Amino acid sequence: MNDFTNKAREIAKRLLADGTVSVVLGWEKGDEPYASAPTAITELAEVDRLIIDEYCIHEIAALLTDYRDGTDKVAIFAKGCDVRGIIRMIQDRVIPRERLHIIGINCPGMKDPNEYARAASGFGKAPAAEIAAKCQVCQNPNPFIYDEIIGDLQKVEPSNERFASVEEIEKMTPDERYNFFAQELSKCIRCYACRNACVACNCRTCIFDESKPQWVGRSTDTVNNMLYHIIRATHVAGRCVECGECERVCPVGIPLMLLNRKLVKDVDELFGPYQAGLSLEDDAIPPLSRYRVDDPDEFM
Amino acid sequence: MMKSFLQYLGIEPERYQMAWISGSEGQKFADVMTHVVDEVKKVGPNRKLREEHE
Repeated sequence: MNDFTNKAREIAKRLLADGTVSVVLGWEKGDEPYASAPTAITELAEVDRLIIDEYCIHEIAALLTDYRDGTDKVAIFAKGCDVRGIIRMIQDRVIPRERLHIIGINCPGMKDPNEYARAASGFGKAPAAEIAAKCQVCQNPNPFIYDEIIGDLQKVEPSNERFASVEEIEKMTPDERYNFFAQELSKCIRCYACRNACVACNCRTCIFDESKPQWVGRSTDTVNNMLYHIIRATHVAGRCVECGECERVCPVGIPLMLLNRKLVKDVDELFGPYQAGLSLEDDAIPPLSRYRVDDPDEFM
Repeated sequence: MMKSFLQYLGIEPERYQMAWISGSEGQKFADVMTHVVDEVKKVGPNRKLREEHE
């Protein structure tokens, strides 16, 4: 990983020095060993802040919404999952491909900072596994769109568990399902961390921030929480790149990917096979963002 | 998709119906509305996704 950091700094220095880009998006060290955080570097003198360690799990493409206005070029370090996020941003016209300089990282899998933080607090158990659960079943550790790349190609273990959790829920009775989700979502404190961390949530003005009309109540009762999550999930339907960031950043531990994966599964079954953020080609536009004469009628 | 999603959340799919009706299709509108009411009556009063009032 040290090797990654050195290479990253080298590349960032070169790009900033020759004026190719005006900002570099990467990670910096946090207050704790496990608290590495995304950062933006604009000055050559600050490049040494840049690191790439085993806690760089964040979906860094979400930062690109801050650079949607302007013409400057942006350099971004990106793991395989981040590249899917970047494709989301390009397809959603947040930023054009020409304004990006993507430095791919062939990712060996990241540790889950939350688990390590909990363990370090003395109140949690030691992490169950070395790397985060989502990284263990990762199908895209190697960036497939990039301008330059660091690290060695990673092997991919094929996994069919993508929809296993959704199928578990589908087996329950309707009342069990309602009670399960009502109970989980009643915990929500409406901090909107899930929305802010999401690469598909890139609207300039979010429906939940509007006050005239106010589409969804702001109070944290179960009903309004459920409406919030139902609407958010349907808004990202077909565009969710399954990075799992919403679930990871949730301070109260709501299994949000159960909602998103269900919609991913439905889009995949109705329009698919389809996975969001795997290609920039025209035919890879999210099914719900385009029209075809042979679209299935059940889309509603 | 919305229907299937609501079903996934444990809400009766009959409560959510969608239809395309043109402004000139008065009879179709009436038929669809009658159908919706019949379906919803069949599933009975809704307890889900509602604030609990005493």
